[in-house]
Amino acid sequence: MNPTQPAPAQPTADTVLADIAGMVRTVLAEYGDDDVVIGMSTGFNRDLELESIDLVTLAGLLEERYGRRVNLAEFLAGMEFDEIIELTVGRLVEYVVWSLKTTQAG
Amino acid sequence: MAIVDAGGIRLHVQRTGPTDGHGPHPTVVLVHGLLTDSLASYYFTVAPGLAAAGLDVVMYDLRGHGRSERPPHGYTLDDNIDDLAALLDRLDVPGPVHLVGNSYGGTIAFGYAARHPGRVAGLTLIESEPATPAWAAKLGRILHRVVTELAHNEADALAWVTARHGRNTARLAKGAARLVRETTLGRDIPASRVLTEAQITAVRCPVLGLYGGDSDMVDLLPAHRRLLPDFRAVVLPGHEHSVLVEAPGTVGEHILDLVHAGAGVR
Repeated sequence: MNPTQPAPAQPTADTVLADIAGMVRTVLAEYGDDDVVIGMSTGFNRDLELESIDLVTLAGLLEERYGRRVNLAEFLAGMEFDEIIELTVGRLVEYVVWSLKTTQAG
Repeated sequence: MAIVDAGGIRLHVQRTGPTDGHGPHPTVVLVHGLLTDSLASYYFTVAPGLAAAGLDVVMYDLRGHGRSERPPHGYTLDDNIDDLAALLDRLDVPGPVHLVGNSYGGTIAFGYAARHPGRVAGLTLIESEPATPAWAAKLGRILHRVVTELAHNEADALAWVTARHGRNTARLAKGAARLVRETTLGRDIPASRVLTEAQITAVRCPVLGLYGGDSDMVDLLPAHRRLLPDFRAVVLPGHEHSVLVEAPGTVGEHILDLVHAGAGVR
């Protein structure tokens, strides 16, 4: 995917999933991991084995793509530690779609 | 991701803060702990709340940790204090800063305050202590275990950690083993120069100590009360050493209390 391509005004869960899968592949590429299958039920920790510092990198990629409306730090700071460990791609997709919608309306 | 050259070492830095366009705001610098830790322990816990409360927040990965450069040598406490000093110079952070340190990060923060008293407005030590001979001996014992058990019998040690603490902790332990194998950290930290009681007592800024009630760090309280001229302790029951990530809301409120108390009298 092309990171300079502008984000659509009203992205759907499908387009956001494709975006996030691309970002996760970018992060995993640093470990020499490619060809991972990423779907809504994929767990960041359980399946992808991402560490919390990898999520900081992901937060930066999300902000680059969607602007400051999507703030992974604020999203995760509202969670319990165990919830963060259990975080799935689908839950992040829902959050991104929701924040883009909310800020559109506001 | 911002990589900053701090006097010859490339450190990964993340900053957040108020977006109101007014400033300057008080700056808080968050220093993480040893081996398994990184700036992520602040990024996803207290940092968003501190920024929302009007502080400029600076987080960085210590050398060898997270996304920062990992040179093979140079892991004494003084090296870490030099890195922090060079980073703050490089970032051109205004005014005295509030330093927050978790575990070993607090030992760095305290060492920085001892060396640069005019540059620190206040210190929050989370599950942490100044560098004393007893501290160096304790770190020596912990690092010796990491070196012997993890770095040399890694498969067995990781199987044990996985069985007892789960996969996530085992993954962190694996990263710690790699760090001690690839660097002199395991030898450097226990060999660090430590502070005398007079040097500890000379740190006159407000110091807030936050402790997990079930952590053996609370045993240090009498010594801290005796040595530090402006010291307040908060013990959070039901927590151990990981109180920062387990109780970020409470930890964040106490950091803000300290920052605001200072703003009121200055």
